[in-house]
Amino acid sequence: MLSALIAGLATGALYAAAALVYNVMFSTSKVLSVTTGHTAMLGGVFGAWFLQAFALPLPVALLGSMAIGALLGALTDFVAIRRVLARSDEHLWLLSTLALATMVQQAVALWWGTEPKPFPRIIPQEFGAGVFDQKYWLPVAVAIALAIGLELFYRGTLYGKLFVAMSEDIFAARARGIPTERIRMFSYVMAGAMGGLAGFAAGQLTFAYFALGLTLTLNGFIALAVGGLGSNLGALVGGAALGILSSIATYYVGGEFQQTISVGLLMLVLLLKPEGLFGTRNVRPV
Amino acid sequence: MKRVAILLFAAAVLVSLPWWAGDQYQLHLAALIGAYWVLIAGLNLVVGFSGQLSVGHVGLLAIGAYAYAILAGTHEWNVWLALAASGGIGALCGLLLGLPSLRLPGFYFAMATLAFALIVTELVLALDGLTGGGVGLSVPEFPAPFDTAAGSYWLILGIAVIVTWLTWNVARLMWGRGLIAVRDSMVTAQAVGVPVFHAKLVAFVFSGLTAGLGGALFAVMQSYITPDTFLFELGLFFFVCIIIGGRGSILGPFLGTVVLTALPELSAPLAKLGNFFYGLLLLLVVLLLPEGIGRLFQIGLERLRPQRLGSMPIEPQPAQLALAIKAGQR
Repeated sequence: MLSALIAGLATGALYAAAALVYNVMFSTSKVLSVTTGHTAMLGGVFGAWFLQAFALPLPVALLGSMAIGALLGALTDFVAIRRVLARSDEHLWLLSTLALATMVQQAVALWWGTEPKPFPRIIPQEFGAGVFDQKYWLPVAVAIALAIGLELFYRGTLYGKLFVAMSEDIFAARARGIPTERIRMFSYVMAGAMGGLAGFAAGQLTFAYFALGLTLTLNGFIALAVGGLGSNLGALVGGAALGILSSIATYYVGGEFQQTISVGLLMLVLLLKPEGLFGTRNVRPV
Repeated sequence: MKRVAILLFAAAVLVSLPWWAGDQYQLHLAALIGAYWVLIAGLNLVVGFSGQLSVGHVGLLAIGAYAYAILAGTHEWNVWLALAASGGIGALCGLLLGLPSLRLPGFYFAMATLAFALIVTELVLALDGLTGGGVGLSVPEFPAPFDTAAGSYWLILGIAVIVTWLTWNVARLMWGRGLIAVRDSMVTAQAVGVPVFHAKLVAFVFSGLTAGLGGALFAVMQSYITPDTFLFELGLFFFVCIIIGGRGSILGPFLGTVVLTALPELSAPLAKLGNFFYGLLLLLVVLLLPEGIGRLFQIGLERLRPQRLGSMPIEPQPAQLALAIKAGQR
C-alpha cells in the first residue's frame, strides 16, 4: 500500500510539472498547448539517448535534454502560436499545437521506436531501496523545486513581473511598451526547458517512451483543471491528488480503470467547482 | 437543371463503380471510404458546423464496432437489428458524453473527448469477457446478397447516401444556420435566440448515431477487430479530413475523406510516414488556409472568372420625391 502511494505521488508530481508547464505558457499567451506533455517526453527520450549512446556526463545530458525541450517550446511559439494568435479565430491554436504535437510524436516513434526503453540510473543507488528509490523522489523534488522557483521568479524578477503583467492584460502591457512577442517566446522556451527537466527527472519512472507525451498532456491538463488554471499551488495539489487517487484506485480495483478514474475526478471537479480548487472564477464574456 | 445533371452523373459513377474499378482491393478501399464517410458526415455537423473540436470520435466508432460484433456475433442477433442497435448505442453514448462535456469551453471539450477515446480503449481491454480484450473479436459478415465485395460496397453506399442526405437537410435549413452561428459567435447566437446547448447536443447525438453505424460498417469491412484497430490517431484522421475539406461545407470534407484515405494507399512512402503526414497537412492547412482547401478552388475560380457587378444607376424620381415631401408636411 505504502509503495503504491509513493508511486502515485511520483506520477502525480510529473503531472504537476506538466501542469506548471501549461501555466507558464498560459500566462503570456492564454494558450493551452497540446505540445506540453511532449516537451517532457522529449526530455526523457533524449536524456536516455544522451546518457546511453554517448555516455555523456550527467550535467551535460541534463542540459542537453532541457535544451531539446526548450527547442520544442520555441518551435511551438514560432510555428504554431505566432501566426495563429494574429488571427481572431479563437481555437485555431488548438489545431496547430495538436498538429505539431502529432508530428513530434510520430517523428520520435519513427526514429526512437515504439517500445519503451529503460532510462539509466542518474545517482548511484542500490536497486533494492524500495520506497526510497530515486525514481520516486526525483520527480517529486523537481516538481516542488519548479513550483518554488516559479513563485520566486514571478515575485522577484523583472521578467517574472512582465509575465504577470501580460497574464493580467496583454493590451495594457503592450501599451506600456513591453515587447510582448519576445516575452512570449521567452516564456515558451522557459516552459519547454521546464518540461525537459521534468521528463529527464522522471525518466526512470516512465521509461523513454514516445507515447508519454499525449498521456502527460491529458493528465497534466486534468491536474491543472482540478487545481485551478493559472495557480502553481493548485497545479501541485491537483497533480498529487490525481496521482495518488489513481494509484489507490489501481491498488483496489486493478490497473485497467486508471484513465476512467482520473477523468471521473476531472468531471466531478468541473461540475462542482468549475474554476478548480485554487483558480479564479471566469467572467463570462458578453 | 445543371445541378440535377451533375447529381445524376455522380450517382451513376458511384453506383457503377464495381464494374469499372480495377480490382477487388480498390472496391474494398471505396467501401472503406464510405464507412469512414458515414462517421465523418455526422462529425462534420459537430466540428465543421457547430465548431466543437471533438478529437475523440474514434471512441464512438469503437463502441459501434464492438456493439455490432458482440450483438451479431456473440449473441447471434439478426444482422440488421444489430446494425440498428449499434447506431442506437452510439447515439446513447454520444448523449452520455455530450451532456457533461458540451458545457465546457473549447480546449476542455477537446480534452474531454480525447479522454473519452482513451477510456474506451481502456475499457475494451479491461472487459475482456465481453470484448475479447487484446485478442479481439471476429465480426460476422452481412448475409447474401451483401456478402460479396460489390454487395457490401452498394450497401455502404446506400447508407452513406442516406446519412449525407440527412446532414444536408440539417445543414441547409435553420438548424445548420443556428449551428454556424454557434461556431462563429456563441454570445451572438444566444442573443438572437438559438438554443445553444440544445443545438450542440442534438448535433452531437446525431454524430454519435452515425459514428455507431460507421463503426459497425467499419467492423464488417475489417472482419476482425482488436483494440489496436481504434487508435487515437484514427480519430485525429477523421478530424483532419474535416478541417482540410473546409468547415461549414459537406462536399469539402467528403473530398478530404476520399483523398486522405486513398493517398497513403496509392503511395508507399506516405503510408510509412502515416500520422506524421496527417499532422503536417493539418499544420499547413491551419497556418495557410484556415478555411480549408476548398477556399483554394474558390480563389482560383474568381481569378479565372472575376465576377463583375453590373452598374446599377439610381434614377432621380422628382414626382415621387415631391409627393413624399408633401406627405411629410401634412
